[in-house]
Amino acid sequence: MRIALAILAAIILAALIGPMLLPWRYDAIDWNAVRAAPFTAGHPLGADGVGRDLLARTLVGTRVTLAVAAAAALVALLIGVAWGAVAGWMGGKVDEAMMRVVDALYALPFMFVVILLMVLFGRSILLVFLGIGAVEWLTMARVVRGQVLALKQRPFVLAAEAAGAGPVAIVARHVLPNLAGVAIAYLLLTVPQVVMIESFPSFLGLGVQEPLTSLGILVKDGADDMDVAPHALLVPGGMLIAILVCLLIVGERLRDRFTI
Amino acid sequence: MLRLLARRMMTALPTLAAIIILSFLLMRVAPGGPFDGERALDPETRDALMAAYGLDRPLPEQIALYVGRIVQGDFGPSLVYRDFTVTDLVAQGLPVSLILGALALIVALLLGLAAGLSAAAQAGSGWDRALMLGMTMLTAFPTFVTGPLLVLVFGLWAGWLPVSGLGDGDPAHLVLPVIALALPVAGAIAKLSRAGLAEILGQDHIRAARARGLAPATVLIRHALRPALVPVASYLGPAAASLLTGAVVIETIFALPGLGRYFVQGALNRDYPLVLGVVTLYAALIILFNLIADLVYGWLDPRIRG
Repeated sequence: MRIALAILAAIILAALIGPMLLPWRYDAIDWNAVRAAPFTAGHPLGADGVGRDLLARTLVGTRVTLAVAAAAALVALLIGVAWGAVAGWMGGKVDEAMMRVVDALYALPFMFVVILLMVLFGRSILLVFLGIGAVEWLTMARVVRGQVLALKQRPFVLAAEAAGAGPVAIVARHVLPNLAGVAIAYLLLTVPQVVMIESFPSFLGLGVQEPLTSLGILVKDGADDMDVAPHALLVPGGMLIAILVCLLIVGERLRDRFTI
Repeated sequence: MLRLLARRMMTALPTLAAIIILSFLLMRVAPGGPFDGERALDPETRDALMAAYGLDRPLPEQIALYVGRIVQGDFGPSLVYRDFTVTDLVAQGLPVSLILGALALIVALLLGLAAGLSAAAQAGSGWDRALMLGMTMLTAFPTFVTGPLLVLVFGLWAGWLPVSGLGDGDPAHLVLPVIALALPVAGAIAKLSRAGLAEILGQDHIRAARARGLAPATVLIRHALRPALVPVASYLGPAAASLLTGAVVIETIFALPGLGRYFVQGALNRDYPLVLGVVTLYAALIILFNLIADLVYGWLDPRIRG
């Protein structure tokens, strides 16, 4: 888990400041380096089909993908925690009804909803990640509800109730802080889902627009070019896999540690 | 068992109806329509087309008509593939998608259970940890990366397998798509079965079986496997969903004429009936698989049949 965290930190740092340190901009075209292999023509990881530096493009793509994923995961976190906490705390009929809604939404084919959203509402990145966040909160809601149900029986919550604290105060001061660990763990586990859901429409050409890029677009471009320039697929594909694997390892470890 | 089934059906039908209405509304509030081509149609032609397809009526009426026809198995005409009804297109695409999904599910179950069993049999060993790390990594591999990677390695570099289309029904064409689709699901199944088995193996009836001198393999397969499969069974619903959505990706990458490709084409062309038909069908399939998962679940663990 330490290794995974270190790799993640390195990737995030590289995506944030890396592009500023490179001699090539992500959209600058170097006609002498079309499909250059790694370590040639002054490009450490080679160049793509129109001679743009692959390292710069991958770092910028990582930045875009991570930004979209983080924003969508936050939306999912907000909706999921609110929904789950209310359902778990209220219990009874309210709980039943709210969880039925979650069950029902699980039958939605998510990828389709997101593709529909992207086709229908054009290429507004904002809407896209709001949309993704809005469909990815279900698991979070289920988990949070379960945690709240368990916390409700804990002595310190009963004590707060006996001391005359109102429900809002108890949930805000005693229940939510104890949810933080689990919520963060599932936040991390949501990110890989979101990354995948964001990347595939980009792969179809529905996501972020050229010359701006995301890992999904880079993988797509690389796949189109892989017979002549396999590194154009391997570099962004490897980056995407590294991010997803690290997030999953850290997220699962945190989940196992914090689940009540 | 029957009561469980009945209760599930009671929630399944309204869910399906809600999904149909939701996607219907989503398609209609969006800007742009199926007849917005490169050249603008003159208003009369446009109006005639809208009237012919019933798009000029009020929304509630359109929804009611649509749902009424679906019940009779009629998903309406495709707006873009002229002369084809959505039912025709679905009938062409569905078998490809179902075969792809079924093969992938079988491969994922075999691979995942084998890995889970072998890791649980030596729980705590280096082999266990390495195998489970590998399986965790599999679950993180997005199909649209593994697909092209498999094509690159086995298709282009090694030249062993064909990489696109269906050929003339030559099964070799399905090998790479099925593997790419199965890998993440196999990873998840391996992790679930490993966790389930490790828990069961610590219980008394297993110790009793061992004490009677049964061979380790017999204990594992005859006594531990069935209860340990409960978490795997409950994952079958989500697994089916993930195979179906994964199939969209895989069909695009490998140029297979399945349902997913019609969906993507339909969405890009704003072919409302086609998209709605595919979404409805997929939602129905996911609900069906969740139902099957519930039944398998009850069969594996008699305590929850009640």
